[in-house]
Amino acid sequence: MSYENPEVPHEVNVARDNALVEFLRLLAGVGLVVLAVAAVLYLTSSWLARLIPFSTERAWVGDRVLGIEIAPSSVSDHAAIERYLQSLCDELAATMQLPDSMTIQVHYTQARIPNAFATLGGHVAVTSELYRLMPSENALAMVLAHEIAHVKARDPISALGGGASLALVFALVSGEADNLAPWLAGLVQLGYSRGAEQRADEEAVAALVTRYGHAGGAASVFEVLAEHSGAIAGSVPTFLSTHPADAARIADLTRAADGWDPSRAPLAPIAVPGTND
Amino acid sequence: MELTTLETVPGKTITRHLGLVQGSTVRSKHAGKDFLAGLKNFVGGELKSYTALLNESRNEAIERMVAQAKAVGANAIVNIRFSTSNIAAGAAEVMAYGTAVVVG
Amino acid sequence: MEAIVQIGFFVVLLAIGWFAGRANEKRHFRELAEVEASLRDILVFNERRPPPEREFRSGTLVVGSVVIAEDYFKRIAAGLRSLVGGRLTAYESLLDRGRREAIVRMKQEARRVGATMIFNVRLETSSLSEDRSGRAPMFSAEFIAYGTALVPAGRP
Repeated sequence: MSYENPEVPHEVNVARDNALVEFLRLLAGVGLVVLAVAAVLYLTSSWLARLIPFSTERAWVGDRVLGIEIAPSSVSDHAAIERYLQSLCDELAATMQLPDSMTIQVHYTQARIPNAFATLGGHVAVTSELYRLMPSENALAMVLAHEIAHVKARDPISALGGGASLALVFALVSGEADNLAPWLAGLVQLGYSRGAEQRADEEAVAALVTRYGHAGGAASVFEVLAEHSGAIAGSVPTFLSTHPADAARIADLTRAADGWDPSRAPLAPIAVPGTND
Repeated sequence: MELTTLETVPGKTITRHLGLVQGSTVRSKHAGKDFLAGLKNFVGGELKSYTALLNESRNEAIERMVAQAKAVGANAIVNIRFSTSNIAAGAAEVMAYGTAVVVG
Repeated sequence: MEAIVQIGFFVVLLAIGWFAGRANEKRHFRELAEVEASLRDILVFNERRPPPEREFRSGTLVVGSVVIAEDYFKRIAAGLRSLVGGRLTAYESLLDRGRREAIVRMKQEARRVGATMIFNVRLETSSLSEDRSGRAPMFSAEFIAYGTALVPAGRP
């Protein structure tokens, strides 16, 4: 009987294939599946969110304007401006065939960045800087009508639904569920898809035509904003320096005002001028 | 290759003792079956998917141990023992080890 | 954006895990091969019966143990693999290292007592990761090899 310990092959218990290659292949495979699932979930929840009745959305949100801090300005005619905006909004909304339960509430907020957006519950916010920059009532009406169109199309709640499913996928993948709520609230402000923006533009133009008989002044909104951002960036504001999507928008809106004669149908001035505060 | 948990192979004599051989494998069930097994926690009973998983693992561990034994020229493995341990990522390691011998 | 910072952080950790982890492992395997070669004269069996025809002066318990932890790359690779199921090759090298190191340490203890053979060797592996709240804990395992070291009669 002999006792020996010949050398055993240890590779039997350790697989030879490159760990990095296998890892990358797995990552690619799992990544593709996750992306596909996320895309399907996003589309489904965006669509499903629109089915929630507006009255429920409004009841849930109440008076809260989600996605932005409403900063009351120190200007004395802040209330007057807000009233003006609200009445302009109401007049436009009346021509846009909103469902009965849908009411739009406009908020005027102090901010250095020109912005206007629609959020949950029919709340629309307009910043003081945007208000100050608008050259005519027609331009202002374009802005308001555009936001009303977003509310009418239920874009805010659709964005929230889509964002919620993306946040869910993200939380499942990364294992973190702590900071979802502020993430979600911020998503509403991020903006809508190109298609949604285009649809809102078209509806706003139609509202302008109904109210003023023409779409003059609509393009000026984006021209002014482009000039403003160009001036801030320090570069010479030219038509070509705008974002290509904005350039296309300006072109579309200018075309929508074809046949408008400014001398025969001048743009209406802003009833309550905004001040530099 | 003769496999036994005894000290000897019954009916044969050991002529050469060739030392320790081991085979081990780590396997994991996929997330779907894991989730279903988690649900089964409510009603209890056999987790068929895990039983199957560990059976596969044990067979593979034995195969690897046999491969090591063959490489050192053995024709039997005696005193086979198993050891199972839980690996954090929802997987289990099964190890089989024994002494490789030549029986005549 | 915060998400990009998180992803960047993750990739950096993964890279550290990969490079440092692989270097570590390679070094350990090389050392193991050397030490195993020097300890080859100590014979190891898991049989219970020591050779009947030889005389032994004493038999003592010898134990070798080591705790080895995973690196970040292994952890993520294992997490991915658990999603689809199958063999977890990332851990195979870790377990192999641990077992061989434990056996080496057991042999070293046997060498210290002057033994030439170890019988009734048993191997145990136990996972040490505790359940901390929140994220999954880092996996680490303790490997033990123990047996009875036989010192041949006639040795001083």
